Amino acid sequence: MSFNWTPDELQEIVTNNPIVLFMKGTPEQPRCGFSNRAATVLGQLEEKWASIDVLSDPRAIPSICAWSDFPTMPQIFINGELIGGSDIALEMYESGELQKMISESSSE
Amino acid sequence: MVTEAWMVSEIQKIVPDANIEATDLHGSGDHFHVRVVSDSYLGVRPLQRQRPILNHFKPYIAQNIVHALDLKCMTIEQAESTLDTAFDPHSEKKTEFFGVHIRREKKE
Repeated sequence: MSFNWTPDELQEIVTNNPIVLFMKGTPEQPRCGFSNRAATVLGQLEEKWASIDVLSDPRAIPSICAWSDFPTMPQIFINGELIGGSDIALEMYESGELQKMISESSSE
Repeated sequence: MVTEAWMVSEIQKIVPDANIEATDLHGSGDHFHVRVVSDSYLGVRPLQRQRPILNHFKPYIAQNIVHALDLKCMTIEQAESTLDTAFDPHSEKKTEFFGVHIRREKKE
């Protein structure tokens, strides 16, 4: 089965996984400082999260950016909704908003 | 390559009442950290604060003229309680992931 980064396929990923990080590289081997920062923020959380390496396929970044209408990587989705990149993730983590958002969603 | 002054003037078009500070992180004219402080952000969610700015820079990001854009969109009150926010994603220094921004004891 091949993955083609279509809007339907991307939507399925963020629907099936409550927390998704599209990043350059992997949490263990991030390939960009912003992706590293996003992965580190998510790593502070108690919840499990999924990460997708957007450097694994040259089609990934243009497809994801067009689908989400957000021009940069990384991108974080919670409950299917784009919350933003690493700057927003860190800001929401520090204010406690991110944890609140996730705990509310997991208790639904 | 663009300048800090250009960055400020472009963002001023989007958020006219804002106090804007752009930092060219490497002196290479393509990695920027920008603080945008405006009370027009009151009650606006983080992603919605960034969207107009990101949309404006989309063509520059797509052409890699602007390679990194770390945005901190804050209200005046938030800005007063948040001091140094610069984060360099490609820093040579091994930082504690969050760059200078972390204010939290390391777990473990």
